[in-house]
Amino acid sequence: MNEERKKILEMLADGKITADEADRLLTAISQNSQNSTGETSRTSLPKYLRVMVEPGPESEKADRVNIRVPLKLIRAGLKLASLIPKNAQDKVNQALNEKGIDADLSKIKPEDLDEIIRQLDDISVDVEGKETVKIYCE
Amino acid sequence: MIPLFLQLRVKQKNNRVFGIWVPIFLLWLILLPLLAAFSPLIFLIALILWKKGKGRLILFSYIGIFALIFNLSGLKLDIGARDRNMVYFNLQ
Repeated sequence: MNEERKKILEMLADGKITADEADRLLTAISQNSQNSTGETSRTSLPKYLRVMVEPGPESEKADRVNIRVPLKLIRAGLKLASLIPKNAQDKVNQALNEKGIDADLSKIKPEDLDEIIRQLDDISVDVEGKETVKIYCE
Repeated sequence: MIPLFLQLRVKQKNNRVFGIWVPIFLLWLILLPLLAAFSPLIFLIALILWKKGKGRLILFSYIGIFALIFNLSGLKLDIGARDRNMVYFNLQ
């Protein structure tokens, strides 16, 4: 067992990091070692979109959410969404606008998802100290 | 790949964990032959309604449902709070 791996497992045993965080770190280490041994970049293509909502120190009772969605499922969903009739798309866009999301469903294409994945490194949003939302691909 | 099992776990307040594996491949054994059996009918309806513009919607929606089912594998949802039950869903 190498030194980095051992350190991560010790941090997990001490309760300094969660099992999910340890999993991410171990995955990152294995990917780094694969890349350094000449593996093609194709093997490190993300397969899942992970969304984590962790309650902050002020809101211990808030919900915890940990969702892992396969990117293939999102692509299939986007293809289905493009089939939604125009009038129904307008209603969806209106509902999104009411929630404060300025998005046009008709303009989102499956190809755009690849661009988003490329740009999406690791987004972490702290919502007024109440909760932390993390979005990343793995 | 099509998901074969649904792993359902509930972590209770007292840290007791209750988990079951649901063999959803049994559902596919019933559902997929049904979907396949209805395929000729769907294609026929799509062909009839093609000129009205609804044929494309019916055909591609039907194909899209298959795509969704076959890409469900790996979907994982963990929802709960620290002082309440935590529910884990994992499709494998």
